[in-house]
Formats: sequence, C-alpha cells, structure tokens
Amino acid sequence: MSRYAWLEPSPLERVGWDVDVLYGPWPSRHADVGLAAVRERLHGSPVQRGLALSSRGALFDAAAGNAQTVEDLAGCPELLPVGTVDLRDALAAEPQLDALTAAGVRFLRLFTVEQGAEPGFPGYRHVVDLALARGLVLLHDGDVRRFGPALAGRGAQVVFLDLHAYFLADFLLLARAEPGFRATTRMLSAPDSVERVVESVGARHLVFGSRTPFMDISPQTLRLRYARISAQDRAAVAGGNVEELVR
Amino acid sequence: MPIIDVHAHWGPWPFHMDVGSTRLNLELMDRYGIDLQIVSAAEAVTYDAVGGNAALREVLGAEPRLRGYAVVNPNRVEDSAADLRRCMDTGRFVGAKIHTTYPGRSIGSPQMRETFAMLDEAGVPLLLHTWGPDVALLPGLLAGLPRLRVIVGHAGGDAWQEAAHAAASCDRLYLEHCRTVADAGRIPYARQAGVPVERLLFGTDSTLVDPCVALGVIRDAAFTPDELERVLWRNATELFALPSPT
Repeated sequence: MSRYAWLEPSPLERVGWDVDVLYGPWPSRHADVGLAAVRERLHGSPVQRGLALSSRGALFDAAAGNAQTVEDLAGCPELLPVGTVDLRDALAAEPQLDALTAAGVRFLRLFTVEQGAEPGFPGYRHVVDLALARGLVLLHDGDVRRFGPALAGRGAQVVFLDLHAYFLADFLLLARAEPGFRATTRMLSAPDSVERVVESVGARHLVFGSRTPFMDISPQTLRLRYARISAQDRAAVAGGNVEELVR
Repeated sequence: MPIIDVHAHWGPWPFHMDVGSTRLNLELMDRYGIDLQIVSAAEAVTYDAVGGNAALREVLGAEPRLRGYAVVNPNRVEDSAADLRRCMDTGRFVGAKIHTTYPGRSIGSPQMRETFAMLDEAGVPLLLHTWGPDVALLPGLLAGLPRLRVIVGHAGGDAWQEAAHAAASCDRLYLEHCRTVADAGRIPYARQAGVPVERLLFGTDSTLVDPCVALGVIRDAAFTPDELERVLWRNATELFALPSPT
C-alpha cells in the first residue's frame, strides 16, 4: 500500500453525477476524445453517471449534434443526454428546443465562450427566454459575474460551469437570492472555497462537473474528498443535488 | 516517502478566501504529507516585493518546514538584487521568484532580460510565473546565461504545450504543473515531447490553491514509484541543494 493516502481513490471521492462531460472532436485541443474513450475514462474514475453531449452541437451543427447525442447515449446507461442550441443562430432555437423536450432532454448547455455571446445580445436573451419557458435546466459556461445578473430574478435553474475561486464572492451574492443558481466545484480550488459556499448559502448550490475529457478528474474528486464539510453535504454536492434535477 | 513543494505561498490574497496564516500552510502540509514547502510572500508577489520579502524573513526564522523565494520585481532590478542578497544571507531562502502579471512585464521584455542576467550572476534558481505562449522564448533567453536554472511555474498555464517543447529543448528548464484548471494529459504530453522525469517538479500554489489539486494531477499522470520519488522530492533536493528529507 502506498504511503500517500491521496494516491489511492477513496469512497469519499465517489461522484453520483458529473454535469460536465463532452465527447467528440475539439480542434483547439491537442487530441480528440470520442465517446468510447470518454466512457472508459469515466469508468476508471470515481464518477458513476454523467450529463453528456457531442461536441458537434457546440462547434458546428446544433440540430445534428443534438440528434447524435440522443442517438449515441441511448446505448449508454450511465450517460444522460444534454442538448444545445447555437447562440449565433437563435432564430433556429425554437424548433430545436421543442425537439429536445419531445425527446425528454431536461438540460440545455450554452457555449457562450465558443460562440462569442454576451449577456445583452438579442440572440442570447431569446434562447434563454425559450429555454426557461420550457423549464429546461441551463448548463452555463462563461463568467458568472456577467451572465448571473442576466439570469437573476427569473426563477431559473442554472448550473454555472466556469466559476473560479477568485470570483466566489460574486457568485455568493447572487446565490443568496437565487435558489436555482448552482456552480460546479471544478475551479473552486482554494482551501476554503467549497466550504464557504456550504457555510454561507448551503450545499444545494454546488454540484460536480469535471469537464471530462479535457480536464484531469482526480484533482476534483480529491477536493471533494478532503473538503471540510459534512457527509450529508458531500453527498449532495457529489450527486444528490443533480438527482433532484434529473427526476 | 517525502514530498517537497517547490511552488507555494505565504500570506493573504485579495480574493474571497482566508488563507493567510502560517498555520494553514502547515495544516495543509500535514494533511497531504508535504514535508517541506518553498514559499513566496503573497504581498511581495502582488504589491511590494521588498516589504513582502521582509515579512517572510520573519516567518521563515520561526518555521523550519518552510523555505523562501525572494520575490524579484523586474521593474526594480537594482533594489531587488540587493534585497535578494539580504534574503539569501539569512540561509532560509533558496531562490528567486518572478511573477509576470503583477509587475506587468512579459518574459520577452527588456526588464526581464536584465533581471535574468542579474539572477544568472547571483546563481540562484528562479521560479518564474509563466502564462501564455511567450514561455517559448525561454530557451533563447537562457542561451547566454549559463548558470540560470528556471522552474517554469504553472508549466505555461494555458500554453502548456509550448512550455513542454521549450523545456524539451533546454536542460535548464524545469516544469512544474500547478494550476486550478487542470488540463488533462499535460504531464504525459511533456514527457512525450522529450522532457525527462528529472526535470519535472512538484508544486501546489498553496495556500492560494489547495494542494490536493496538484496531487490529483500527479495521481492522474500515473508515474511509476521511482518516477514519483523523483518528481515529488528528489529532483527538488538536487536543484536546490537541499538535504534529503528521508
């Protein structure tokens, strides 16, 4: 047995739901990782289930990407499909969102960084209106300080995927008044970031999102393992909170 | 098996976190089995190099498990050279640290060239904050500075591929991969690019970042036990001429 406790995974790293999983080509990365390799990577990790989508919808063709995601993941019991629409072509969003809801998809991921969308853009606002009217949960990239205020006061269920520890105060100010605002722990890397969220607004505002296959998983599961929070709060962050959204 | 953390900090940061106490450095070291930590003062990095280094001198005098980097401001080379000597004379400092963001100087700037020359003459290892493609300039900059050995802090940040190729082409560059955004596959990529395991070092960015983040990167890199020993401590003892912690 290793002398390093952290070198061996622990049951405290077990993750019920990972909300940030992608697969498929990504041209700015040094290598592409397909669905089979992503599943293998998750299988070898403490992550049990994930919310996933094909990169085709993010970078090239939203409708085709959504269809591919739904078809591909039909054979993957551990992965639940996530849809997307292209914020550069918001006029096409309505039928695509209808198709997603008809297929039982509950989560909509927005790629504001890749698609160059700002909170005040008409296309962005249109897509958000349509998504919230359909009760979709938003998986939202980008800077919470800019997009959070645009989503506040609307009863939105949002998971911010890119919250950095440096901007934690802004998120906490938003979360005080927004029970539906959540963030992933991925970049809450300071020794007290996760703990501050739990202590100030509650564990219900945190979920696990690894950004597999682009990020290492162990840094994130270790952060969960060593977080100074109760077992009940850890279970909520590791999957319980997403379980409520999946139902 | 011991661990030496070659990239850490002491003191508070201007973010929503409470990480400024020496007690927290030690608590995190104990939690993860880190024996020795080489720290720079956050105040010296972000605000006042000379003032922050002076505060750190007091801390190091009382804490045997910490060693120091004297922060050097490339905008004040003469002052920093004198301050570096003051710090090194205490016997508690083992190198210099340069940040690029806070002083607003890129790796290729004239001020940085002048500072590198000063450090070459001083003969101390440098921990350099690297973030962006200008990390690729390092092999060329070091070519005329035969004594200077540089730890490529954060391994280039988002330019980790450029950092890997730079380190592969210069045997006085050492990669250290601590970073909140833990891009997958950085260490295997660097090794495939030709960086030997003897030039990989372990750093955490603690207490700004919890050490488990960097430890997770090490775990996912799947080193052999011998390689792990090199990366976690042996390479650091050789670079800094530290006694073996075993």
